[in-house]
Amino acid sequence: MTTDNGPCVIVTFHTTAEAMATEKICRKNEIEGRLISVPRNLSADCGIAWKGPKKTRKRLEEALETNRIEFDGVYEMVF
Amino acid sequence: MNGRIKISVIAAGAVVGILATALTVLGNPANMGFCIACFIRDIAGALKLHSAKPVQYFRPEIVGLVAGSMIMSLGYKEFRPRAGSSPATRFVLGAFVMMGALVFLGCPLRMVIRMGGGDLNAFVGLAGFFAGILTGIFFLKKGFTLKRAYEVKGTEGFAVPGVLILMFILFLLVPSIFALSEEGPGSRYAPVLVSLAAGLIVGALSQRSRLCMVGGMRDAVMFRDFNLLSGFAVIFITVLLGNIITGSFTGFSTLSQPVSHSSQLWNFLGMALAGWGSVLLGGCPLRQLILTGEGNGDSGVTVLGMLMGTALSHNFGLAGSADSVTDGVYKVGGISTAGKATVFTGFAVLLVISITNCRSKK
Repeated sequence: MTTDNGPCVIVTFHTTAEAMATEKICRKNEIEGRLISVPRNLSADCGIAWKGPKKTRKRLEEALETNRIEFDGVYEMVF
Repeated sequence: MNGRIKISVIAAGAVVGILATALTVLGNPANMGFCIACFIRDIAGALKLHSAKPVQYFRPEIVGLVAGSMIMSLGYKEFRPRAGSSPATRFVLGAFVMMGALVFLGCPLRMVIRMGGGDLNAFVGLAGFFAGILTGIFFLKKGFTLKRAYEVKGTEGFAVPGVLILMFILFLLVPSIFALSEEGPGSRYAPVLVSLAAGLIVGALSQRSRLCMVGGMRDAVMFRDFNLLSGFAVIFITVLLGNIITGSFTGFSTLSQPVSHSSQLWNFLGMALAGWGSVLLGGCPLRQLILTGEGNGDSGVTVLGMLMGTALSHNFGLAGSADSVTDGVYKVGGISTAGKATVFTGFAVLLVISITNCRSKK
């Protein structure tokens, strides 16, 4: 499971469905992380984001591209 | 527990609770310091979109909520005009959310305020609301989506807030052209500028904190994140304390509660309809107003749907009627046969919308 309060990668989406699909894909590909409410400092939206360890960023982006998941942004931050 | 409880949410909840109590003391109906459903219904009445004479008044709180959010989002450069996410579907959902809420006699925010006032019927509403949210979450997990919104021109973002503000200015300048209640809940209101100021403050704080009853329950169920929900817990506690301090708290009961009925099945089902619809919309009625203030055209259309829903509710006698005492006899309120049929129609419509908008598997 993701380490809270450590450096992490956060992906925001245009829709909840894309976030849900990301969770399934990450589970299938054994990419660490979990769904969270979008951090307030990233957006005024109250949607759902994906949060994982920073080290998973490359694999995560590859999985998103392979599965044609449309995302809003990818951020690295301590959260 | 995941996520942190943020001070901004706690502060927003406390201020909402204090202002809700203050508005009631200053003239708003009991347990109705804030109610998005009731206030939009009153505005629909003031605009002569329905003919129910006891519920007609241009509630400044609604204008304040939208304007407060707009001012704050402009100040923090978070005003983002967006639209195009299934607007017609959102209009329909907004209408049915209001019809469900008016069966219960209150939006999710008033539900919490009623709970703080000792109204046990509202706890039944909460159970229904939670059931509706769980139903909505089920479809979210199945891939429900109303598709994404796109950036649009600034005029789109200002359209609904602008019309609302202009109508309010017209109300201040020429109130005689609006329908205004002489008795009933619509005739009871706090001073206009106080109501407007309260709306502005709550709108601004809600924009910063993202206060949302639906988002709060969704986060609690899906992520065990209780941040947003904590705001509503604070509203409940603050209103409860406020009622005790002002002497209007008489204990917890289902009977003789202000603008409330004790037909528990319909309290449950009305809020279940509102909860399910709100999850599909991505936010509770309060949140739709806040997003409208942030320039979200889809939420603006939803608010117009909400306006239509309240008008239909009162033109066709679909809304709940409060318990009353006539000649010393306690009469349990509830809803008409048409209202019951509308609730079931609403569930059927939401089911169709939920199923047809689930995306195919990747």
